[in-house]
Amino acid sequence: MQSLTTKEENELKRTALNIRRKILRMIEAGGEGHVGGAMSAVEILTALFFKLMKVDPQNPRWPQRDRFVLSAGHKCLVLYATLAERGFFDDAILDTYGQLKSKLPGHPDMHKLPGVETNTGALGHGLSIAGGMALGLKRDAIDARVYVLLGDGEIEEGSNWEAAAACSHYKLDNILAFVDRNFLQISGRTKEVMDYEPLLKRWQAFGWSVREVDGHDISQIVSSASELPFEQGKPSMLIANTIKGKGLSFAEDKAGYHFWTVTPEEWEIAAQDMAAVERGLEK
Amino acid sequence: MTEKVNPRQIFGEVMIEVAEKDERVFVLSADSFGGSGLRPFKGKFPERLLEFGVMEQGILGFASGLATTGKIPFVVAITPFVTSRPFEMFRNDIGYMRQNVKVVGRSSGLSYSTLGPTHYSLEDVALIRAIPEVVILSPGDPVEIRQAVHAAVEYEGPLYMRIANAPLPFYFKQDHPFEIGKGVEMKTGDDVTLIGTGFALHRAYDAAMLLQEEGIHARLINIHTIRPLDRELILKAAEETGRVVTVEEHYVVGGLGSAVAELLAVEHPVPMRIIGIPHGYAENGPYEELLEMYGMLPEQIAATVKRFLGA
Repeated sequence: MQSLTTKEENELKRTALNIRRKILRMIEAGGEGHVGGAMSAVEILTALFFKLMKVDPQNPRWPQRDRFVLSAGHKCLVLYATLAERGFFDDAILDTYGQLKSKLPGHPDMHKLPGVETNTGALGHGLSIAGGMALGLKRDAIDARVYVLLGDGEIEEGSNWEAAAACSHYKLDNILAFVDRNFLQISGRTKEVMDYEPLLKRWQAFGWSVREVDGHDISQIVSSASELPFEQGKPSMLIANTIKGKGLSFAEDKAGYHFWTVTPEEWEIAAQDMAAVERGLEK
Repeated sequence: MTEKVNPRQIFGEVMIEVAEKDERVFVLSADSFGGSGLRPFKGKFPERLLEFGVMEQGILGFASGLATTGKIPFVVAITPFVTSRPFEMFRNDIGYMRQNVKVVGRSSGLSYSTLGPTHYSLEDVALIRAIPEVVILSPGDPVEIRQAVHAAVEYEGPLYMRIANAPLPFYFKQDHPFEIGKGVEMKTGDDVTLIGTGFALHRAYDAAMLLQEEGIHARLINIHTIRPLDRELILKAAEETGRVVTVEEHYVVGGLGSAVAELLAVEHPVPMRIIGIPHGYAENGPYEELLEMYGMLPEQIAATVKRFLGA
């Protein structure tokens, strides 16, 4: 298992802060956005794009690259912010969020931005597409992985479970999927809206090798995800326990901030929250 | 013209041809390869027939993902289960992502006439026409089925093809020039234009022959590509004959007739009739009897044309 040095961990925490600030930058430009689920997935994408994944921002379609499929497409702000931070495109594009013909639609479009692999937004599509990618890569004996991010509300879509079965059936051990388990969806607690617990056992029963991590602990994510597959011949699943709206003190763990229309007061608090994280990193 | 061939058998044979030629070709089956004429394909290329069981939504996502790695996936199953069931996957994962995936709806139209409306496909063209850019093929005889599959492999992008179950007569020679988007004038005539497609083409053909015997000279056009539609050929026919009748085994809503009407209404309005299945939950029973119930037999088509012409 790979573990991070303190220096590396601090750098990645700094990167995560930069990504959160970029998310806010887009929301500032557009005045609103799907903030809750974007914020909860920041550490997952930081670990992936800055430590775990084989990607080349200068050659985004490189056939041997690892793929990242954002199945929960409404979390696109975290993807855009991460790709910009990783150098796939110029930061200035972030300021076009919400504008006519922006390259940053409210759900991602692979034909508009380098680094975006799929057009998602309708829930329950990404895992099947990722399965097809993983199957194709295996057939070509390309040693690349497919990473997928699912939401814990999203997995209520039955199509995920078709894909879960097929990934296991085809022994796609080159897939690592995350469930960003922030325990909330638009209408409230996932457990109350539609109960999919026990989540670990369900994925295990579908033939996946499953681990659970604190989805805001980059070290934990890296050490869990650095050695793949978890079990030979099985797709891997990391259930990442997270906090919806993580980093925004007024929004954390609140279903109401699935989608945020910014008020000036909240904007002020958001800036203070980011500054506080920055001070913590400087200590 | 008496020899007739099972379209699914031809389809299965052609899939072997294209797979031999192009190693990127894969078949994805939703527990449906046997009925799709693909048993010989599975025998020959077991590694290139990917079975997904009755997984009729995610199979299109898998096809999309496979296409991103340079494969040419053909997803083949009973038509409603690759069109209406997974419509959103078709629209987003294949259409919107512009993936090089070929979806083949077989046993289309009223093919499963005794099984009832759940197994009919009378709205697949309407559905797929609503998705931008997807090429829609509706080959009219066994030769065209063969050529359509070859053309599908050569064409890079999302493509849908519909075929049925009833044996089809041959109209074209093996060297028939098949080009996506190019209709075929099969018979000249200036009294009226008959436009047929797919597995209804032979009924339109027979109707045109019956009309000919009665001195009505119908021009017959075969539209094997519903999108992109051959605008030039259809507009020329409308200008020269002044009346157009479309014939398809599909609802009269949203299919070939609608596509032609959308074109003519804007570019060259002429009186039109759309012959197809009325928009309702169709009855069940023996295939030919069902077609007769809906006025789809050649003599009935000819009679409809004569009424239309006031002849």
